[in-house]
Amino acid sequence: MLGEFEYLLITAAAGLGEEAYGAAIREEIEATTGRKCSIGALYTTIDRLETKGLLKTRMGEATPQRGGRAKRMVRVTPKGVLAAKHFYDAVTRVSRGASWVANRTGSAS
Amino acid sequence: MTKVGWSFVETAARLLACGEREVVLGDLLESNESAWQALLDVFGLALRREAGFWKDPRPWVAGFGVALPSSFLLMGVSLSVCCTYQRLINHRVYDVWWPTGHEGFSLLLCHIFLLIAWSWAGGYLVGSVSRRTLWASTALCFLPSLICLGRFPLEALSKLCLFLFLLPATLGVRQGMRNVRISFRSAFLLALTVTVLMTSAWSSKALWILNWALIWPAWYLVATTWRSGEEGRSGSRPMHHATYTRLSLR
Repeated sequence: MLGEFEYLLITAAAGLGEEAYGAAIREEIEATTGRKCSIGALYTTIDRLETKGLLKTRMGEATPQRGGRAKRMVRVTPKGVLAAKHFYDAVTRVSRGASWVANRTGSAS
Repeated sequence: MTKVGWSFVETAARLLACGEREVVLGDLLESNESAWQALLDVFGLALRREAGFWKDPRPWVAGFGVALPSSFLLMGVSLSVCCTYQRLINHRVYDVWWPTGHEGFSLLLCHIFLLIAWSWAGGYLVGSVSRRTLWASTALCFLPSLICLGRFPLEALSKLCLFLFLLPATLGVRQGMRNVRISFRSAFLLALTVTVLMTSAWSSKALWILNWALIWPAWYLVATTWRSGEEGRSGSRPMHHATYTRLSLR
């Protein structure tokens, strides 16, 4: 099963689609979670997920905004989508009935 | 980010592999972080990469299984060769505790060959299995030398005598790192010659028992060249020993 950060990364990359690359994924994770995402954590996790076959990366185009440096483009593989779905299902199942879930049946407050 | 700050970040990014360096610097420029934060990011990634290399057992084997014990033993052999040479050529007599005994010219030549072969094979092994962690293997190799230089009086001999093994070892490391291909036949011939000479020296009581530990890099080379030869014959793409290493260290 995926780890929490792995799930966040796959979800962010899937959401960005063709525009998924290091800096954009990082920005997306920081914006949605409100947590700092270090470059070290980002790239070591991308490598790990690529080794597991959940992501594929390729070198993208260089832009003037990046000082003429290439991007590392990320694409989620079907296996990655399945792994993210399994993680999401597991979290949803385990959260059922938890007090912090808004629409749970018989909620106390 | 200021120009000075960016130059620090670019310098720190040299710790990263070339392709990754470009991507990371591009990301940092795009996100417009402060120089301090960018430096922390670069060091953080470099540290994680370095830690990643050490998850593989090979750098540990290269450092603690080859570089450290071999340099200790090879220093002894270097010293012994120097003392024997001085005794035979310059007729210099040393105290009883100096590592020179009854060896004649033939055993001296045998020891010189063994010193070169042991050093080269150990260096090749270290260079090929721990390319990205070579700094650690090098530090471990020099550790016994520093201890010995500090503890033993070497007035009678040049201090360089301790480091005779470094030249062939460095050559081995360079060849290991550059993927210099060794045929199975050459590796086997080297290991066999080393074994025969060691047996001969042992039977003449001119070999310390612990020096037998120096034989394994030569036989390890035989095993790896045989394995890559087998893979070539079985139809899969022949892969050089160093390629295995590179893949395993990624």
